[in-house]
Amino acid sequence: MLGLWKTWKALEAKGIMGINRRNADYVLKYNKRNLYPIVDDKIITKERAIAAGIDVPEMYGVIETEKGIDKLREIIGERPDFVVKPAQGAGGDGILVIADRFEDRYRTVSGKIISHEEIEHQISSILTGLYSLGGHRDRALIEYRVTPDPIFKSISYEGVPDIRIIVLMGYPVMAMLRLPTRQSGGKANLHQGAIGVGVDLATGVTLRGTWLNNKISKHPDTTNSVDGVQLPNWNGFMKLAAGCYELCGLGYIGVDMVLDQEKGPLILELNARPGLNIQIANDCGLTHRTHAVEARLAELAKKGITETPEERVRFAQELFGHVPKAEI
Amino acid sequence: MRSLNLHLKVLITLLVGLGILITAYQIFILGIPLTEDETDDLWNIDARVEFQASPREPVKLQMFVPPLNQDYVSLNESFISNNYGVSINRADGNRKVTWSARRASGKQTLYYRLVLTKRYSGEQAKSEGPIFRDSIPVEGAEKIAAEALLAPIRQHSADVETFISETIKRVNNVSDDNVKLLLAGDASTPNKADAIELLLSIAHVPMERVHTIRLAAEIQQSPELWLRSFNGEKWLYFNPETGQQGLPSDRLVWWIGDDNLIKLEGGKQAQVSFTLSNSEMNAIRLAKLTDENTDADFLEYSMYGLPLSTQQTFQIMLVIPIGVLVILILRNLGGLQTLGTFTPVLIALAFRETQLGFGIILFTIITALGLSLRSYLEHLKLQMLPRLSVVLTFVVVLIAAISLFSHKLGLERGLSVALFPMVILTMTIERLSITWEERGGGHAFKVAIGTLVAATLSHLLMSVPQLTYFVFTFPAVLMILVGFMLAMGRYRGYRLTELFRFKAFLKD
Repeated sequence: MLGLWKTWKALEAKGIMGINRRNADYVLKYNKRNLYPIVDDKIITKERAIAAGIDVPEMYGVIETEKGIDKLREIIGERPDFVVKPAQGAGGDGILVIADRFEDRYRTVSGKIISHEEIEHQISSILTGLYSLGGHRDRALIEYRVTPDPIFKSISYEGVPDIRIIVLMGYPVMAMLRLPTRQSGGKANLHQGAIGVGVDLATGVTLRGTWLNNKISKHPDTTNSVDGVQLPNWNGFMKLAAGCYELCGLGYIGVDMVLDQEKGPLILELNARPGLNIQIANDCGLTHRTHAVEARLAELAKKGITETPEERVRFAQELFGHVPKAEI
Repeated sequence: MRSLNLHLKVLITLLVGLGILITAYQIFILGIPLTEDETDDLWNIDARVEFQASPREPVKLQMFVPPLNQDYVSLNESFISNNYGVSINRADGNRKVTWSARRASGKQTLYYRLVLTKRYSGEQAKSEGPIFRDSIPVEGAEKIAAEALLAPIRQHSADVETFISETIKRVNNVSDDNVKLLLAGDASTPNKADAIELLLSIAHVPMERVHTIRLAAEIQQSPELWLRSFNGEKWLYFNPETGQQGLPSDRLVWWIGDDNLIKLEGGKQAQVSFTLSNSEMNAIRLAKLTDENTDADFLEYSMYGLPLSTQQTFQIMLVIPIGVLVILILRNLGGLQTLGTFTPVLIALAFRETQLGFGIILFTIITALGLSLRSYLEHLKLQMLPRLSVVLTFVVVLIAAISLFSHKLGLERGLSVALFPMVILTMTIERLSITWEERGGGHAFKVAIGTLVAATLSHLLMSVPQLTYFVFTFPAVLMILVGFMLAMGRYRGYRLTELFRFKAFLKD
C-alpha cells in the first residue's frame, strides 16, 4: 500500500498524465463533441486539410454505396499501388495496401496475391460497417500509398513508420516516432506491439523508446539502436502538426504523420483521444508541458494576441526541445 | 472552468445533503428500522371477564379498555363474546366497552384482546390538567389529624412534586397515630389513596387515580393503582405505596379515575383476569401494520406504497445504481478493463437467475463456444447483421442444449438459465471477438476476465439483502450515490493499473 502511494507521488512529481486527467482536463475541456466527426471520418479530415493547404496523401476516390463499387477500376486507373481504407476505421483495421499488380491480380504489401473480386468484397465489408466504430455504415477511401523514407529501413519492420505529435491548442507538446514490429504485423499501433520512440521537439533527433510499456533502446527485430536518428524535414512536421488546430478546431489532438519518399511530411489522420504511452517513449510526463502551454495561452489571452503556427512551433521548441541525450 | 467546478461542488453538496437529510428524517423522525432483521416487541394482552348472570334479567357489563393515546399503538383489538352486543365509547380520556345481552344465564365469559406495540406512535398531544381543586369537607377528629399531618408536609416541601411525595411518605408511615386514624385500620392501597387525596385536597392540590397494567409476560396481575397530578406543565405520576415518582416504561395506563374496572348489571361475582404475552415481530412488517392501523401514513409515499409485484421489480431496479457504482470504481479508480461500459452490470443481473458459480460456468462455456463459432463465421465473410443473427441463434440453441443436458443429469439448476439474457451473451461474444481481432487474444482474455470480475463483484454487492432493503426503504441514498458519481466525473488522479503501467519511469 505504502509502495503504491510512493509510486503515485513519484509519478505525480514527474508530471505523468493518467487517463482520468487526460479525459477530465484535456479531452473533455478542449475537444468539442460536435467537432469529433472531423477527426473520426478520414475523408472529412482529408477534405478539410486539402482546403487548408495542408499536405495529405492524395485521395483517388471515395466509394459510398454498393453500386459505387463498380467504379473501382475507374478510380484505380493504371496506378500500380494504392491503399483502401474505411473512413471511420479504428486501430488500422480493414486497411488493404496494394503494392503492385500484374495481369489482373494484385499483390498486397505483405506479398499475398488477391483478385479484383476480393478487393471488392473488402470494400463491401467496409461499407456495411464491419470495421467502423459502433458498426455504422461507412465509406471506403482509396488513396495514395505512402512509400516510407529509406531512413527508417534500419529501425523498422515492414509497414510504414509514422510520427505522432500531441498538439494542445496548436502548440506541439510531445512527439513520438512509431515503428512497426514483427509482433504488430506491420501496423504502427502501440497496443498491437509497435515501438514508440521519443523525438526531441527542437531537433527531430530520436530518443529512446517504449515497447509494451517498457523502456527500450534497440529495435527488437533489427536490433539497431532506435535513438540518435535524425528525422529529416523535422520543422516541416512541426508546422504541419501545429496547423492542425486551425484545421479541425479540436484543442487536444494527436496528429499522425508519415514521411513519404517523394512528397515529404503528410498528415495521415488526427486522433481526439491520443494515448499516453508517448510519455514512456519520451521518458517525460505530459502534465508539466501542457501546464506550460496553458500558462502561455492565459498570458496571450490577457494581451489579446493569437500566435501563428510558426510562432507556436518556435515557442514549443524553445521550451520543450533540446533534451539532453540519455546515458546508455 | 472555475465556475463549473463551483457549480459542481454546489450540486454535489446539495444532493448529498438532501440525501442525508431525507434518510435521517426517515430513520430518526419516522423511526423506520435500519435493517430488515430488526425486531420489535409486540404485546398481546387478554382480559378475561367472568361472571354469573342472573336469570331473566338483561345483562349489561361495562369495562374500561386502554385509551391508547400514549406511547403505544394498537395493532389489533378484538372483543370476543357470544350473543353480546358490543359498543365502545369514550369519556373523559377513558375508553369503555359495553357488552350487553337481553338474556343470559349461568357462567359467562367475555374476552377482550389487544395487540399493541411501543414504536411508531404519533407525536404526543400537549397535556392539560387541573391545577386547583376544592377541599373535601372533613370534620372532627379527622380534620385535626389531617391538619396535624399537613403541617410538617408543608414545611418539608417546596412545590407540588415534593409536596405529593412527602404526603405519600407520611401516609405510608402507619405507626403514626394521625395516619392510623385516617386509614381507620385499613392499610390497603385504595384506602391509602383516599387518605392521600384527602390531604392533598385540603392543600387544594388536585389528584387523579391511574390504573395501570404492567407489560410483563407470564405473571398474574391485577391493575396497579398509581396517582397523578398536573403541575402546570406535565403529569407527575406517583406510586401511593412507595412514593416512587414517574411511571415506569413498562406500565400501560388502562383507565383513569375513581371508578371500578367493571360495572355489571344483571349479574354477580364479576372477575377480571389479565394474561399478557409478548412476541417479536419483524420491524418493517410492524411498521407496515402500524401504518395501516393509524393515521400516520408515512409509508404511503415510499416504495412500500406500490403493489407487491411492482415492489419486487423495484427491489431489483433500485440496486442497479450500486452495481453501476462498482463498475465506475473498478474502471475509473482501479483501471480494470471491461467489455463495454455496463455489460458487466447486465451480466450481474443475469447471475441473479442462475446463481453465481453456475452463472460463471455457463457464461464461460457459452462465450467460449460462441467465440469459436464467430471465428469460423469470420472465414465466410458475412455481413454484420446476418452474422449476429447466426450467433444469437447459436446461443439460444446452446442454452437449450445445456438445459436439456443438465436436466437429464438431474441438475435442476440448468433450467434456471431459461431467461439468461441471450442478447447480452450474443453482444458479449461479438464484442469479445472484435477485441480479439483488434488487440489480440491476450487482451481479449484480460477483458473477459475483467468483465467477469466486475460482474461478480457487482452481483455480490447487489444481492446483499441488507443493502437491497436499505436502498429500497431509503431511496434517498441514491442521491448520495449520484453525488459521489458526480465527484468521480472530475477525478483526475491515477488509476491503480496506471501505477504499474508507468512503473518504467521509476526504474532509473
